[in-house]
Amino acid sequence: MDRDSAQMPRGLRSDQFSGLLLVALALYIGWANLEYPIGSLSEPGPGYMPLLLAIFLGAMGLLIAFWGGYSRPLRDVRWPEAVRAAIIIVACGVGAFALERIGYRLTVIGLMIFFLGVMERKKPLPVVLVAVGFGVISFYVVADLLNVPLPRSPWGL
Amino acid sequence: MVETFNNLMLGFSIALQPHILVYAFAGCIIGTLVGMMPGLGPLAGISILLPATFGLNPIVAIVLLSGVYYGAMYGGSTTSILMRIPGEAASVMTCVDGYEMTKNGRAGPALAIAAIGSFFAGTVGVIGLMFLAPTLAGWALRFGPPEYTALLMMGLFILAYMSGGSMLKTLAMAGLGLALGMVGIDAMSGYTRFSFGIVELGDGVGIVPVAVGLFGISEILITAGAATADNVQRPKLRDLIPSREEFGLSVGPIARGSLLGFLIGIIPGSAHIISSFVSYGIERRLSKHPERFGQGAIEGVAGPESANNAAASGAFVPMMALGIPTSPVTAVMIAAIMVHGISPGPLLMTQQPELFWGFVASMYVGNVVLLILNLPMVGLFVNLLRIPYSYLYPGVLCFCILGTYSVANSLIDIWIMLIMGALGYVLRKFHYDLAPVALGLVLAPILELSLRQSLAMSAGNYAIFVERPIAVTMFALGLIMFLFAIKPLIFKRGKDWRRDVGLEGAEEN
Repeated sequence: MDRDSAQMPRGLRSDQFSGLLLVALALYIGWANLEYPIGSLSEPGPGYMPLLLAIFLGAMGLLIAFWGGYSRPLRDVRWPEAVRAAIIIVACGVGAFALERIGYRLTVIGLMIFFLGVMERKKPLPVVLVAVGFGVISFYVVADLLNVPLPRSPWGL
Repeated sequence: MVETFNNLMLGFSIALQPHILVYAFAGCIIGTLVGMMPGLGPLAGISILLPATFGLNPIVAIVLLSGVYYGAMYGGSTTSILMRIPGEAASVMTCVDGYEMTKNGRAGPALAIAAIGSFFAGTVGVIGLMFLAPTLAGWALRFGPPEYTALLMMGLFILAYMSGGSMLKTLAMAGLGLALGMVGIDAMSGYTRFSFGIVELGDGVGIVPVAVGLFGISEILITAGAATADNVQRPKLRDLIPSREEFGLSVGPIARGSLLGFLIGIIPGSAHIISSFVSYGIERRLSKHPERFGQGAIEGVAGPESANNAAASGAFVPMMALGIPTSPVTAVMIAAIMVHGISPGPLLMTQQPELFWGFVASMYVGNVVLLILNLPMVGLFVNLLRIPYSYLYPGVLCFCILGTYSVANSLIDIWIMLIMGALGYVLRKFHYDLAPVALGLVLAPILELSLRQSLAMSAGNYAIFVERPIAVTMFALGLIMFLFAIKPLIFKRGKDWRRDVGLEGAEEN
């Protein structure tokens, strides 16, 4: 935690924020753990260890927040690539949804076309060549040469 | 000694079989390429290749994967030296002086010293593994649940102490990893915990989706859109020879880095990363001209590169002798062995000597392969660095999806990977170290089982941990480390040795 930033303006600090999030997570784990028996010290139940961990995580979160007064202000945390990162995550999520429905090759070709053509705005011909080449060759190497089963589309692709 | 020599001969008789040599070569080449790609470190590379080893025999599988591990460690240094891009985290310190040497026209000697240092350190590490692992395994046969609990707790405290960033954040991340490890069926009671009705989560959260998400996907999310340097030097073979002075300056750092790296490697945590930071700090302090560091000092390449490679070997000691993974990489390696019905641990060396000694011998072979392969072929490998990152990262993403899915043919694993990728991205923004999450996840089942068994043995009396000599010693060591670690937090003027050895920079990297 950077003590050099002590002169910075008032407001919630990054470590205070992240510490409080950890406390919230610990409270959630503790609440969800109510479903499982804690047992006794001589016979700890399935809820025993999660309870200990929730207490530990909460304590760490509180300490991080407590000592976080000297960390940088929360508003100084920059997220310039956040939109791009979110698009990548969503695209991969769509890919995961499609994988067992349309098969590995079509999914990968679709993902590559999206990333190269839409996000990176490359020219159509190289995009198609790279996407199809990557999809077909990686399938051949992994599924055919290394015998790792990969999903195929209903049309055999 | 004679027995060790005979066992080693048995190992070489296995490792020098032509088909195993082919896999060692393949592993080293794949690893080097993987290590050179930003976003694909050794862990992601091994995870992606893991499913392909399911059909191989266990010796071949572990030889291939350890080749990938070493290759990736070396590949990371190539991009650090030539482009100032650490292919993987352990190469961050190599960037500092390695790239300065490249700017001064000394890229070739920097690469050569990195390779020679890696070879020497790898060999020292293997010798250490050969002598230490059997001794440790014999000792570990005396371990019961309290000793295992104490060992794991000590490991977590040492991890927090050695961590480059905030100790509290490291412990919090270890706690988060342990909490993730609670998902799934409880081995002692049969309860399914925190599964949200998802059947696949009954088996728990796998290390591969978590590791690939935290390290691979989060790296891509942070760097996607970044431009890569288009002017990459291609050193020729004759440019690689270091001068007599450069060689002389490197001998000490290589020897010290090898020893230090191996010792740090045995300790749980991101040993290869920590060891390179510590080695750089030590070399800077020992140097008669510390002002040269950061300006292209060859000691700044030799020390960290040797240390991170020795640490990679050191990490195999507790894995092989105790069956305890001390890093995410060794956790995936254990998974690779267990797929074949073999459990690493104290009995491995007596029950499966050909596996253990074949593995040790293959490490020797792998080090030689890396040395003779990478230096002459460095000009060829750097061609990979000419591929624009905008073409590279979609391919890496597809490999991450492919590798994660094919471990268990589970879409849930891909979702976990994506969630972990997003989580890793956010945590990195707040300067949290991610390795303890993966480590906590793999240690959670062992820690929970040993803690509950210990309490059951003692009828709920926690004094069992202080009544047994081995357990109390390990707890005391862990506690001392913990007290040392919190000292700078309480006494603000307290001097923290980590700052002296350069670890203060680890958090920012």
